[in-house]
Amino acid sequence: MKTLADFRAGDTFELTREADRYRPIYYAAVSGDFNPIHIDREVGRAAGFAGAILQGMCTMAWLADACTAYLGDPARVKRLKVRFARPVVVGDVVTFRGRCVAVEGPVVRLEVDARNQRGEEVLKGASAEGWLEAS
Amino acid sequence: MAIDIRHVGRCYGPFRSTVCAEQIQAFALAVAGGVPGYFGSAQGEPSPFSTLAAPPTFGVTFAMSPFALACTDPELGLDLLRLLHAEQEFEHGAVVRAGDVLTTVGEIVEVRSRGSLDFLTVRTETVNQGGERVLVARWTAVIRG
Repeated sequence: MKTLADFRAGDTFELTREADRYRPIYYAAVSGDFNPIHIDREVGRAAGFAGAILQGMCTMAWLADACTAYLGDPARVKRLKVRFARPVVVGDVVTFRGRCVAVEGPVVRLEVDARNQRGEEVLKGASAEGWLEAS
Repeated sequence: MAIDIRHVGRCYGPFRSTVCAEQIQAFALAVAGGVPGYFGSAQGEPSPFSTLAAPPTFGVTFAMSPFALACTDPELGLDLLRLLHAEQEFEHGAVVRAGDVLTTVGEIVEVRSRGSLDFLTVRTETVNQGGERVLVARWTAVIRG
């Protein structure tokens, strides 16, 4: 596993995930978020969207996956913060592009850009902190 | 319609949740396969990660109830078709692992308006069976006017 010395400001990482038509249903099953706006396209349309929209927390889970893969251990992810700028609609493909902006003592600060296949931001101000023990 | 400020301070919980390994695994898989190697290899090699540490947003499974209840609270009367998740923050303490027994409480800490948008923020705090804090989360909904 990577150690603190392996992390440097300027590092980049990337992850792409697709909101396939079953993803909101899978996510509902494990998260307990069965809000019909996520699993019924008619309700999604009634709310003004093209169809069912993915749970924001699933998008955030993908963000966390991107950060976890970079940091090397889920237990190192100590802070996550996002604003949901635009719903992810079933069929969307989201690309997370992360950057290490600073390493301060044991804290690795990350910022992540998340956009759909049209280049539109789905998250704003997404940031994370990894906390590592000195080795 | 602005949310009445008198709801600030309204509390939900406590809610108790027992974490099991299968739940962590199902969560990681549903999110889209999880991180490669999270659960060890097919050949039986152990995971390189801290044994079954919950994924960083697993808190949704045990800490969302106060937020969900606030959003559907008849006293607040929010229009769910106009409600979206607007912002989310997680601050992790002790790592959550299979076998933990977690207790979560939540409180409406802020209501505000911006133009035709109304915002509601619930802060939750979760402790484990040893009394260690595992998660402080801020859940913000927006209700589109």
